[in-house]
Amino acid sequence: MSNGISAGGPEDVLDWLHARGKQRSSAVPEFDVERTISRARAARDAGAVDFWSVLSPTERRAFESAADRRTFPAGTALMREGAPAGEVMVIVDGWTKVCLEEDGRDRIIAERGPGDLVGEGATIPGNVRSASVIALGTVQALVMTTADYAAFVSEHPGVPDLVEKQTYDRRTDRPGPVLPDA
Amino acid sequence: MTADPGEAAISSRAPYGDAESLFRAAYDDLVRAAYALLGNHADTEDAVQNGFHKLMLAWTRVGGLPTAGEQRAYLIKIVVNEALQILRYPYRKWERLGVAAGERGVPRESVDESVQAREDLRLVWKVISEFPETRREVVSLHAAGFEYEEIAARLNIKISTVRSHISYARQQLSGWRRATGRGRGNE
Repeated sequence: MSNGISAGGPEDVLDWLHARGKQRSSAVPEFDVERTISRARAARDAGAVDFWSVLSPTERRAFESAADRRTFPAGTALMREGAPAGEVMVIVDGWTKVCLEEDGRDRIIAERGPGDLVGEGATIPGNVRSASVIALGTVQALVMTTADYAAFVSEHPGVPDLVEKQTYDRRTDRPGPVLPDA
Repeated sequence: MTADPGEAAISSRAPYGDAESLFRAAYDDLVRAAYALLGNHADTEDAVQNGFHKLMLAWTRVGGLPTAGEQRAYLIKIVVNEALQILRYPYRKWERLGVAAGERGVPRESVDESVQAREDLRLVWKVISEFPETRREVVSLHAAGFEYEEIAARLNIKISTVRSHISYARQQLSGWRRATGRGRGNE
């Protein structure tokens, strides 16, 4: 069994996987539902994946003209957990990690890269950052104040819906949608 | 391993009113399925966490489903598909981020398989994730150690449907192994 499916492996992969799954599920380690929920909420508040790709050319121009282009050196924070949330950003170039402080350590809960929107939780007035976003290399981003973003969204009413849909379908290299059969 | 006696009743129960209640009720089951597929703590947590994230984003749709059983089926499908993504592209995310395993604060469980066996297995998951959606979910839950009736209850489908998907999948996989020579040792 420890040889897996190669080198004279089992005739039937499905039976082998099933037996392995049964064995593993008899010794599932402990998981914390509260922690999972808070991480997932923070990842959601940290923004939307592939935001830029769902904007029309007109919407992109409008966003760019209302935003500042800013460069963040590697290791610097685009936003800090617990700080007041006054801006949203679209990453133009480079990668970031989204971190939560748990038990005094940084835990990475998500990654955000080119085309992704970060800091969308800022659109709720008086909100503070639910997570930190740290540049992994040099990062270029379009930075917009919450007020300008609210104006942008109200001028382009299709935007929030598109963001939600796109985020839900993200990372789907798979052929079919995740949705149940119609 | 025996099906929860309440499992049959859930299919017709009134739907959950919010994403968190549904997620909490299904949590142990989701964790069990994801862990059985992934075999380590960190990836299991990622799959389940992403599942809840996606559930929140899809709540307008999921909240409107008529029964709790359909909502749970929807959620378990999300998590199974998250797990498949990880199985198909193991470590991709962390390699791209250049993050050492230690930085995540969770030790990676030792892998008891050889490099070749792991690569073979990754290719098996690739084939499985390219199955049509219900089939890949049935096969994944079977691989997670669930029995046919448990799979049927979780996906809200008939046992005969489960059986026929497994049977097709078996044929497809053995055809693939014949064609590629994978997993056939020195034959």
